[in-house]
Amino acid sequence: MKESKSLSRFELLMDAGFGAQKAGDILIRAFAKTGRYVYIEPMIPAEISPPPRTRAALSGVIIRVGDFDITNIGNDTDLIISSHEICLDRRLDDDENNPNCRILLDMGNKVGNEDTYEKVCKRMAKAGLNIFPFEIDEAAKAVIKSLGGKGENMYYLGMMSAIYNMPKDILIAEIKITFGKKLVGKILDDNLLLFENGYDYAQKNIMFSFEVQGIAKERKDPMLIDGNTSMSMGIIDAGIKLFSGYPITPASSIMHTLAKELPSYGGMVHQAEDEIAAIGTAVGAYFGGIPSVTCTSGPGLSLKQEFIGFASAAEIPIIIIDAQRSGPSTGMPTKTEQSDLFAAAFGSHGDNTKIVLSVANIIDCFYAPQLARYLTEKLRLPVFIMSDFLIANSYKVIEKPTVNQITDINKIPDFVFERFRISRLPQDIGMVRTLQSAPGEPEKMRRVTGLNTDKDGKVSYSAETNQRAHQIRNEKIHHVRRALSMPEMFGDDHGEVLVVGWGSNRGVIEEAINMCKAEGITSASGMHFRIVYPLPLMLKDVFKKFKRVVTVELAYGDDLKPPPLASLLRMETLVDVQPLWCGATGRPFRPRALKQKIANLIGEIK
Amino acid sequence: MTTETSNPTASVTLKDLQTENPRWCTACGDFGILMGMKRFMVDKKLSQITTVNVSGIGCSGRTPNYMNTYGAHTIHGRPITFATGLALTRPDLQVFIHSGDGDALSIGGNHLIHGVNKNFNCVFLMYDNELYALTKSQSSPTTRKGHATNTQPSGTFMDPLNAVRLVLGIGASFVASTADWMPDHLAKTLEAAYDHKGFSFVHISQRCPHFDPNNFAHKETNWFSFLTHEKGIAPDKRIADKAALTPHDPSNLQDAFRFAADDRRYFGLFYRDSNKPVYDQIMRDMVKNAKPKNRANILDKFGINDQA
Repeated sequence: MKESKSLSRFELLMDAGFGAQKAGDILIRAFAKTGRYVYIEPMIPAEISPPPRTRAALSGVIIRVGDFDITNIGNDTDLIISSHEICLDRRLDDDENNPNCRILLDMGNKVGNEDTYEKVCKRMAKAGLNIFPFEIDEAAKAVIKSLGGKGENMYYLGMMSAIYNMPKDILIAEIKITFGKKLVGKILDDNLLLFENGYDYAQKNIMFSFEVQGIAKERKDPMLIDGNTSMSMGIIDAGIKLFSGYPITPASSIMHTLAKELPSYGGMVHQAEDEIAAIGTAVGAYFGGIPSVTCTSGPGLSLKQEFIGFASAAEIPIIIIDAQRSGPSTGMPTKTEQSDLFAAAFGSHGDNTKIVLSVANIIDCFYAPQLARYLTEKLRLPVFIMSDFLIANSYKVIEKPTVNQITDINKIPDFVFERFRISRLPQDIGMVRTLQSAPGEPEKMRRVTGLNTDKDGKVSYSAETNQRAHQIRNEKIHHVRRALSMPEMFGDDHGEVLVVGWGSNRGVIEEAINMCKAEGITSASGMHFRIVYPLPLMLKDVFKKFKRVVTVELAYGDDLKPPPLASLLRMETLVDVQPLWCGATGRPFRPRALKQKIANLIGEIK
Repeated sequence: MTTETSNPTASVTLKDLQTENPRWCTACGDFGILMGMKRFMVDKKLSQITTVNVSGIGCSGRTPNYMNTYGAHTIHGRPITFATGLALTRPDLQVFIHSGDGDALSIGGNHLIHGVNKNFNCVFLMYDNELYALTKSQSSPTTRKGHATNTQPSGTFMDPLNAVRLVLGIGASFVASTADWMPDHLAKTLEAAYDHKGFSFVHISQRCPHFDPNNFAHKETNWFSFLTHEKGIAPDKRIADKAALTPHDPSNLQDAFRFAADDRRYFGLFYRDSNKPVYDQIMRDMVKNAKPKNRANILDKFGINDQA
């Protein structure tokens, strides 16, 4: 029974260290090559190699494939392949299955674990899910044993490929490309054999399959890239010459990529002794006139705050990339969240000013460093680029972005500004201090300090100079406010409900609004901010054209405490903005569920 | 430290280096250090425009404001981190770090360990007045045991941390000690530190007449010796004939440890290792030796249609 679908979502669940993500990568490349759009979210444990067959060891991939540009990880899962009952049990807790979800459970571990298998099977039966028990065939098991217990992922890859009616030869070619020079000879042959066994097994024994339609239209320069790699390449394209960081999940992979790449483009990666040193070195280099960036997540942001305030006061440019993760404190290092908004916009002590950009998708990751450089060098204020675990680690097929090879920030093309809904800033931006040269220029000796100074840079504790310094720093923010144009909107500019979000929630909002439209709900619109602090001046007027303005944000909020974006919008507009969907579950929002919430809200209003 | 380029301008004068009147207390040892720095810059003909004084917080932190060069008065304990950025990316600059005993050993202790270990090119001046002064007399890591402060009024509890022994222990490539009241020795020490390529640690005993007037018997010479060697630092001209001289080969690490641990104070060059790898040089060499790639092609390898 072959089902034709325009969109499907499926998952492979395994223990950490057994190659679930590798299998997923191979499959989505094959999907992409056959004209489908894909989006993949890896599920990664916070530990390296937790004991197998424990709930903490769950590692896997969620893959969404369709015949249109996919902007988010989507809705409910149609198919799960799970290597044993424990990781499946753990994943069922997240409750992201389609009610008709088919679950293929490998029974190979059942001997000695009958009780837990029975428990999980009962759970699935109770939930009305369709269970398809299977076992890896004996020949394949022998090969896996000879590979030291590795290789199940190739078998499951074969099964997934067959179930999704993917041509075997394309997959084989992709396996060879992926393993490249690393696996050759017998090991490669063994992996291919496992793939073929899995493929054949599923073809013969699994009585259903899916065909995801490909698109006829040829895509221009499709490429497959994840958010952190896209950000890394964007850093190079922006002309940044020093990356200074300290290992932290999920920001680290930017440092890994750049450690390999940046020297070939005349830059260096400094691994600092701690998060404070990481930003200190980047600020020091920027004081020397060298474009620099630091990158962090979670607790690292807290540690950087004093230097962020210093850079603001001393008028030294600095770019801080924050790949947000679930907090507070160590929280859930491998889960996504958007709760650093206030720490970015209002962190550090005293009234200190900065700009907060966010990335909505993997393409934004590539362009954001250019805009961040422009803003930080023009304003001499800290500029944040807010990403999150989801964007950092998700892969997607995108159309190749335009490489701009920036050296001079004034040559950044218009489309980058338009993308972030901002125009160029005025030529002359007022500074607290007249002298702003980098060392080496005669007659312009510049001495910066975190103390308050007058216009000549002299330390001053007078009422007048301190108030003046604050006014000038805040005027820099006002320049940005005035340069911001209308944020991106989905749907009409008036109606019953306006759903607002920032960062990685763009795709979910867009898709939910499209679903509403498809179902005849035309009174709901969406709005998304790429620049989230400061906010544009016309917001209040836009909000007034809707009966209700609500937010969607991956951060905690409740009846008595609006989540961060809702709080910020209330503060800035005095409009009674409420969260429609907020939470600190660590899991991305799903467009269908969001559509339902929008529909319910419209029902309540009427 | 030494720098990669020659100085673009000649002859800076003491007057050129003047900014405003320092806001230190009368008779503060920092005046001596400031004068020593200026004297050294003049003698060495360092360029104002390629010299960067970087500091943290405390009385020592104010120095960059009082020298007409480039400067950065950064945050407490972190001047090493800031200076690292300059050393890595601007080898044409002369970087001096001014840090107190609290700044360098307490809040910034981690950075000192890694600055010394990375051996990046700079001169590090540790102003050691053996207490927190700008915050009004609290115990610091180097406050002598028993000395009463506002935070340990019955007398400081612990033995002081020995900064020279510490940096020798973590592998410093240049360790010297001097004092604020010996302008000649101070300038010569800075010159030796400047001539050394790497992280040059200069410990400076600094008087704090306001909070601890009796700490250093700066008019006496019986409590210290100058370490002397043909490859070392000459004793202070003014008091060389009054003070004890102790021969010490600065390549002898064991002896350096012995002098550092002694109850007697020693001023001079404890240790120098000119062969220790220099971090910023390694980093720049790596960039120089990396195979250059064209930025225009930066995304090509992610294409999915053109891989064989």
